[in-house]
Amino acid sequence: MTARRAWIVVVLAALAVAGCAERRADEVRLVFRHSRMPGERDPLPALLRDFERRHPGIVVAHEPLPWTADVQHQFYVINLEGRSAGFDVLMLDVIWTAEFARAGWLLDVTDRWPAAERGEHFPSMVEAATLGDRLWAVPWVMNVGLLYFRADLLGRQGLAPPTSYAALAEQAAAVMRAAGEPRLAGFLWQGKQYEGLVVNVLEAMWGEGTDLVGRDGRLLPEPARAAAALARRRALLTRGISPPLVTAADEELTRREFGAGRGVFLRNWPYARALFEAGGSPVAGRVGVAALPGGGALGGAHLAIHAGTRHPDAAWALVRHLASPDAQRAIADAVGLHPTRPALVDDAALRAIFAGARPRPVTPWYQTLSATLQPELSAAILGLKPAGQALADAERRLAYFLRP
Amino acid sequence: MTARGDRRLAWVLLAPALSVLAVVTVYPIVRVIALSLERRVPIFGIADFVGLANYAFLARDGAFWGAMRVTALFTVVSVAAELVLGVAAAVALRAQRRGVAISLSLLLLPWCLPGVVTGRIFEWIYHPSAGLMNRLVAVVVASAQPNWLGDPRLALPAVIAADVWRTTPFIALLVYARLVGVPAAVYEAAAVDGAGRGATFWRITLPLLRPVLLVALLFRTLDAVRAFDLMFILTGGGPAGVTETLTLYAYRSLFQTLQLGFGSASAVVVGALVVALAWGHLAATGERDAV
Repeated sequence: MTARRAWIVVVLAALAVAGCAERRADEVRLVFRHSRMPGERDPLPALLRDFERRHPGIVVAHEPLPWTADVQHQFYVINLEGRSAGFDVLMLDVIWTAEFARAGWLLDVTDRWPAAERGEHFPSMVEAATLGDRLWAVPWVMNVGLLYFRADLLGRQGLAPPTSYAALAEQAAAVMRAAGEPRLAGFLWQGKQYEGLVVNVLEAMWGEGTDLVGRDGRLLPEPARAAAALARRRALLTRGISPPLVTAADEELTRREFGAGRGVFLRNWPYARALFEAGGSPVAGRVGVAALPGGGALGGAHLAIHAGTRHPDAAWALVRHLASPDAQRAIADAVGLHPTRPALVDDAALRAIFAGARPRPVTPWYQTLSATLQPELSAAILGLKPAGQALADAERRLAYFLRP
Repeated sequence: MTARGDRRLAWVLLAPALSVLAVVTVYPIVRVIALSLERRVPIFGIADFVGLANYAFLARDGAFWGAMRVTALFTVVSVAAELVLGVAAAVALRAQRRGVAISLSLLLLPWCLPGVVTGRIFEWIYHPSAGLMNRLVAVVVASAQPNWLGDPRLALPAVIAADVWRTTPFIALLVYARLVGVPAAVYEAAAVDGAGRGATFWRITLPLLRPVLLVALLFRTLDAVRAFDLMFILTGGGPAGVTETLTLYAYRSLFQTLQLGFGSASAVVVGALVVALAWGHLAATGERDAV
């Protein structure tokens, strides 16, 4: 190190020490970790400033997480397992809450959160925050799987949006026949080997009236019906209703196909809606939205408090402020992330769809469950393995990983 | 100074290096082997000694043998292609008379890119409807739209092609450096003796390149056995696990699902494989060079 650089370090260190000395002794400093808000207008700085104004003596620093969900999860695990997390309030993907609660990293908020207020939220968001009859987080923003459809193409055939996956396949086939356009796909969904595939197959199982994990916590309570749901996904490909690109498709790839006018039905999250209606979109004004048969999977985020925080009361005040109706509305207006309260969703049809959302299995082992299923589900939709065998293989591996 | 004194001095001088090695290499190796004998999920406070159960499970796990097969195939095909193309590029470069510097910098470009960037580039090249590959394919066969990353027969070749594009420059550069060092007189003598272009290449160029190629082969093989970034970004190991390498398999258990014991067992297997390959390579080349 050159002498000059050494001097800069010394000066910076001195400044840092001086900065610490200036802080008032009774001041509470909270750190809030969250993923970056999409878009240009980040509503968080204003919300936090507002919180500080209402709670004199509390200062909030907010630090964004890494970009991708995988890396965010790793960041949390490394920092929380180290016991010196360096943050008090954290934003959690809804599928992590049970895992982090079981690991002992989250503050139990059951007694702080009045029962009457829990009822203000969509029940699936609260269910995903519950483990062992205790509550570990507060709903913040919500996501749900939606069925997008080309209202113009369906209308021409006199069809109403389908309420079962069997009807969806028949309608898609009918519209494709009538259109006679080889590049028009019947049903676009996410079949790449990743979390999204698990989401899509779960929704298929719900459409079949069964589930991946039963109410008693047992894996695959009805193996035959689960296999039938998975086999139906494979059949969409063999019948040509879903194009081959589905087997490597994520949300964006299918969104672009449908947005370019090359799909009759699309399974995707609510964010796609605004993009379809944007100026210059070839499908603007021609896209309808309906509930997925059997309900859409729940996505979104919770707010939780780190169990090791030195300021649980201040942290709880911050969580309440950020999850308040006003804050949720501000976030929805600024960046389009949806509120978790039915009262704040103005569109009645959308409210009904959100109310039908279902959480993915609420278990501390969700990451293991999903990672083990992904290659097997992928093999099944590609036809490399019969659906029943793929599920049985996944079950056998999970029996080893999850053994008591 | 006595011989004993010399030896003591040698140990004293070696001590810093040895202690660093002990901390950064020996300790982690011992620790990971110990971990592999446990069922350990630290975040849930699970830590049970299970003996060789993790290895027994690996031995009968179809996904693990799938990852073995994928790793072997990826290694053999990508390294072979890189060697052939690398030598060809270097020989061509050597024959070039003008603009060598420009060619060299262009050649090095893929090698300079971070793996993540290469992955993203190829993600777009392979995009089913908007990608460069399918635009080119459409010129030849109008109706064909291969699903490069979603078809289980095409996904691994597609990933291998990306890896070859990225690492061929490394081999080319090593070989080119050797070729520059060969005196022109050697080739002049060959020409005087009436050797054709083919004979010159097989009898003179290639034997001269042997030491460089053996080193390149070792480096590239060990890299390929540990391949991770391209498949992580392009396919996530899919479809149906056909691009899941051993390191991706270990990553899934270690970092994604936090099963430290089981993940360590798979990491030990990868480590053992790398050591065996390196030893085998050194033994084979050492023996031949002695002859």
